[in-house]
Amino acid sequence: MSLPTILFWILAVISILSAIGVVVAKNPVHSVLLLIVTFFTITGFYILLNAQFLAVVHIIVYAGAIMVLFLFVIMLMNLNASGEPQKNNLVKFAGVVAGGLLLIVLVAALKKADTGMLIQGSTNIGLIQNLGKVLFKDFVLPFEVSSILFLSAMIGAIVIGKKD
Amino acid sequence: MNALISTAVFGIFLMISGLFIKSKQAIRILAISGVVAAFVLNIIDFRQYGASATELFHGMLSVTNFGLLFIEIILGCVLVYFLLSGKDLANIGHYTGEYFALIFFILCGVVLAATYGNMLMLFLSIEIMSIPQYILAGSDKHNLKSHEASLKYFLMGAFSTGFLLMGIALLYGATGSFDITTMNLAGRPIDAMALAGIILIAFALAFKVSAAPFHFWTPDVYDGAPTVVTSFISTIVKVGGFVAFIRLFHIAFGSPDVDKHWLLVLSIITAATLIIGNVTAVFQQSVKRMLAYSSISQAGFMLFAVIAMNVLSWQGILLYAAAYSLATIGCFAILMKMKDYTYDGYNGLAQKQPLLALMNTIFLFSLVGIPATAGFLAKYFVLSAAVEKGGLLWLVILAVCCAAISAFYYFRLIWAMYFKAGDCQVEEHAITPAFKSVLALTALLVIILGVWPGLILAWI
Amino acid sequence: MGIYHLLWLIPALPLLGFLILAIFGLKMPNRAIGIIGCASIGLAALLTIIIGINFLTSPPTGNFYQQTLWTWFSVHGFSPAISFYLDPVSLIFTFVVTFVSFLIHWYSTEYMRGDEGYPRFFAYMNLFVFSMLTLVLANNLLLLYLGWEGVGLCSFLLIGFWYKEQENCYAARKAFIVTRFGDTAMIIGLFLLVKNFNTLNIQDILTKAPSLWQPGATTAFWAAILLLGGALGKSAQLPLQTWLPDAMAGPTPVSALIHAATMVTAGVYLIARMHVLYELAPVVQLIVAIIGAATLLIAGFSALAQRDIKRVLAYSTISQIGYMFLALGVGAWSAAIFHFMIHAFFKGLLFLAAGAVILAMEEEHDMFKMGGLRKKMPVVFWTFLFGSGALAAIPIITAGFYSKDQILFFALASTKGSFWLWLCGFVGAFLTAIYTFRMVFVTFFGEQKKEVHRKPTNSIKIPLIILGILSLIAGFIEIPKAWGNFAPFSSLMNKVMPQVQLAAGMENKEVLLEVITGIIALLGVYLAWQFCLKSPKVLYNFKTTGLGRFIDKFFFKGFMFDQLYDIILVRPVVWLSKIDKRDFVDRIYEAIGNLGLLLNKIFSRTQNGYLRWYVCGLVLGMAVALTIILFV
Repeated sequence: MSLPTILFWILAVISILSAIGVVVAKNPVHSVLLLIVTFFTITGFYILLNAQFLAVVHIIVYAGAIMVLFLFVIMLMNLNASGEPQKNNLVKFAGVVAGGLLLIVLVAALKKADTGMLIQGSTNIGLIQNLGKVLFKDFVLPFEVSSILFLSAMIGAIVIGKKD
Repeated sequence: MNALISTAVFGIFLMISGLFIKSKQAIRILAISGVVAAFVLNIIDFRQYGASATELFHGMLSVTNFGLLFIEIILGCVLVYFLLSGKDLANIGHYTGEYFALIFFILCGVVLAATYGNMLMLFLSIEIMSIPQYILAGSDKHNLKSHEASLKYFLMGAFSTGFLLMGIALLYGATGSFDITTMNLAGRPIDAMALAGIILIAFALAFKVSAAPFHFWTPDVYDGAPTVVTSFISTIVKVGGFVAFIRLFHIAFGSPDVDKHWLLVLSIITAATLIIGNVTAVFQQSVKRMLAYSSISQAGFMLFAVIAMNVLSWQGILLYAAAYSLATIGCFAILMKMKDYTYDGYNGLAQKQPLLALMNTIFLFSLVGIPATAGFLAKYFVLSAAVEKGGLLWLVILAVCCAAISAFYYFRLIWAMYFKAGDCQVEEHAITPAFKSVLALTALLVIILGVWPGLILAWI
Repeated sequence: MGIYHLLWLIPALPLLGFLILAIFGLKMPNRAIGIIGCASIGLAALLTIIIGINFLTSPPTGNFYQQTLWTWFSVHGFSPAISFYLDPVSLIFTFVVTFVSFLIHWYSTEYMRGDEGYPRFFAYMNLFVFSMLTLVLANNLLLLYLGWEGVGLCSFLLIGFWYKEQENCYAARKAFIVTRFGDTAMIIGLFLLVKNFNTLNIQDILTKAPSLWQPGATTAFWAAILLLGGALGKSAQLPLQTWLPDAMAGPTPVSALIHAATMVTAGVYLIARMHVLYELAPVVQLIVAIIGAATLLIAGFSALAQRDIKRVLAYSTISQIGYMFLALGVGAWSAAIFHFMIHAFFKGLLFLAAGAVILAMEEEHDMFKMGGLRKKMPVVFWTFLFGSGALAAIPIITAGFYSKDQILFFALASTKGSFWLWLCGFVGAFLTAIYTFRMVFVTFFGEQKKEVHRKPTNSIKIPLIILGILSLIAGFIEIPKAWGNFAPFSSLMNKVMPQVQLAAGMENKEVLLEVITGIIALLGVYLAWQFCLKSPKVLYNFKTTGLGRFIDKFFFKGFMFDQLYDIILVRPVVWLSKIDKRDFVDRIYEAIGNLGLLLNKIFSRTQNGYLRWYVCGLVLGMAVALTIILFV
């Protein structure tokens, strides 16, 4: 087993465990902290895939900015375990069954899937120079159009957030 | 791509206009002129593109005259919507400019849905159509139900977006391409990953067009959102979702050795949508909620265009988009003038407002599919598309039965308007001659399309 | 070709008139309504005449002009077009429809004055003219059917025009339901044609049919007989004739236009239009002839006993259409259309004149309460006399003589004719003369029983005079062969219709037959004079005998068809529905309804408003669907 494979497995186990933790944790602050852990492991995957730029952006934007924002909101709103509405067990059970079934089906289906396509293509696409070239040549339209998406989200934040 | 640019630019323009223009009417007129401008500019575009796809921006857009024609229909319907209900939209809150800006951004998304050539653009177009909707659904800030609708829609929408992304990722894994034309699924045995991807995308899109069993959000959101918003999201945005659906499934997944895999599931979804939409609509007390369920059942009919996959289904979806949108916008415009949204609130409308009652009857006829209205031909086209496809006869029979059921709840409204005595409360001051004449023109258009569909179909 | 491009305007103008009247009618003064109603039809008539003259002087190539406005839709190669087809046959029908309608509209402006439904009346009438023109100009059986149902609808609306009286509504309903029997047969026939030809284009069907079907083929038989069903209903022929006498409940101009001059001849038009089909189904063609002959006799006898002036005319209409069917049945296509045209003139005239009389008598319909109007209303009397002369086929001086004798001659002389068919027609002609002049003598001669209440004005007189003149002279465009070779009408028709095949040795008998029928008509007039004016006692005494009373009642009730249908159709249905009040079939529907309710409850339960349940449902649905696709 080569080093990347070992690293992959370690990261994978951590990421799944911490993701489960996000859902299970009673305290919202714990949830957010575990989510940060998950994001860090995903960053690890990016590095393994030779996508340094994405890895850095991921840490700065998600683990850094967004999560800090989440923490602020949670702490300012003073959410804690006792404030959480009690869900009854039936819902929990139904949720687990439904989600579990979907998981089983997907895993069973993709277990024997052909992943040959994934290996193709150059491996240094994640480098900042190459990424920039692709982004501003082939993908320039989506890049620009996504500004509309963000603009409407921003309008939404203002329209909903502002007091009448 | 004049339509894309003009809708985006006008959206930004209207967003800023709120700063400088205080009059709601001025903003409304600005918005109307924006739609007219986009409409005209799109016509200019129309002559440059033929039936075969023109790739733009490195294949990000794949423009055909079908797509442009669809955009043209949508812009026409939006124009009708603005003329009929623009005032109500301007009055739901303080942020008139922003509401109109959001509508234009949605239009931008619809334009992309009709022209995308790449999965990434599909994702963007779906999201651009969705996010403004979440905001618009919650725009009535004094109404708790509106908040609830917005939040529910957002959470469920986010959930389905997750599926969409996962589907796209799986498909990319299987094919190594985002491009819908070069995905090349045909010609080799299809593997499970691609299949799972297709299905996940199908579910996400089915959610967006409120097909069963992904329809749960629809009645709550349509009922909770301000009526003027419901009118928009149940028509323009829904058919926008359909054009994305039909283009993806016909172009990328349409070859016979691929479609045999997903045809059964989509047929079941169609059947479930038809049954659930119609059966649940039958016993509603509120006309608004009835229209919400009716939009589910109409989605069932539009799904026929997706599963039939031939020339007729392309024509059918164009006609259906126009027929359904015009009639529903008309019904909602009249609904907004009523003070009581229940069936009983319509009692005796024919005596009080004969024109409104007559126009509403024409719209309802079109929704049922009475001959000589656009709705009849639209249904006829999508159903005959399915017959031509073959093997779907059971579904067609089911659809015809469901159309018969739908007559019950649509005609109940006509019954209330014409044959029940009552003192319906109407907002008299809001029914201006201008409103009436636009309404009459819309009804006329519904009938003209019913006898002369060439008005639309001659262009492709 | 220039003027032909305006063909679409002919139906469009009445439609425009209808739309204006329907939308703004209630807010317009009556004068404006009358002007719009008349002008739209008048312009259409004018245009028809111009196009007609053009057509006659310089016929288009192939003797037809086709104008396709647009294609409704195109699915599976089936593409019904909104398309008009002008050939000599449709030209004659269009001319009669527009021209007679115009005169009747003009007349109605006066007749309907003061009626509160004035705008409604003209709107319906314009809609009727539009539908009728669509029917005759249609190049496509689907469009024809649209017009067919359109005229049926207008007929229903106009019979029940004074809907506040229950009886009128019953009459309207009866007309609608009885013709529905025929229409149902017709639409099945259309389905059959679509199935065989994959088109409803009339010309395509007519050209393809001979190659597809052998003469006497079973499918041809069914297609022809099903279409005949529609024709029988609309044209009030046996066994669907019972609605027409009751249809007289509508205003008199309606009876003149719809139930005499135009709509009821739609059946004749349909059969003439589809003549190839009938030639391929000789059995059906024979049935057409027999039905025509039987109808004209039954209606003739019934007319003898009527007291209501409009009912006499109604039965005479049934009888005259019977003649047209007889002509169609023996292959005398041109003669049928010729009789249609002449009939439209004189029957329209008779109804309008009767309307003037009824107006003068304050809505009195019973002619035995009128009498002696000759002096008081001279114009009405003379025009009525002209019309009656034409109806009774008084030799040489009236138009009806030329058209009817042609039919009688062909009934005997055609290869498809026979002595018995001729005999029926011959007896019918005798009856016609009797009941027509009975009506004339009772109404206009004798002593006056009631004061004239309202004198006819010019709007009533002028249409009467125009139609009166036409009833006299219109026949001269088709002079019997034996008298001279002047027959522009049939030579026009024969451009598109096959000529009558005469049996051997029949050519020379025409004069003889004419003399016989002429004498019989005059004899009928004499008998009417003898028994109605000179010595009515004889007839009265006969009526009081047991046999006389029975015959009188039997004829008066129109051979008891209503009673017969009541017994064999209506009562069994009512009886069945009574014993089956809690119908077992209903149980099935109720079960479906209950199932719907149950499902509704279940589905409503799922719509509980909790997001977590929605997501659960969504995920489960997804898991199930994925399983189906990936593992099944």
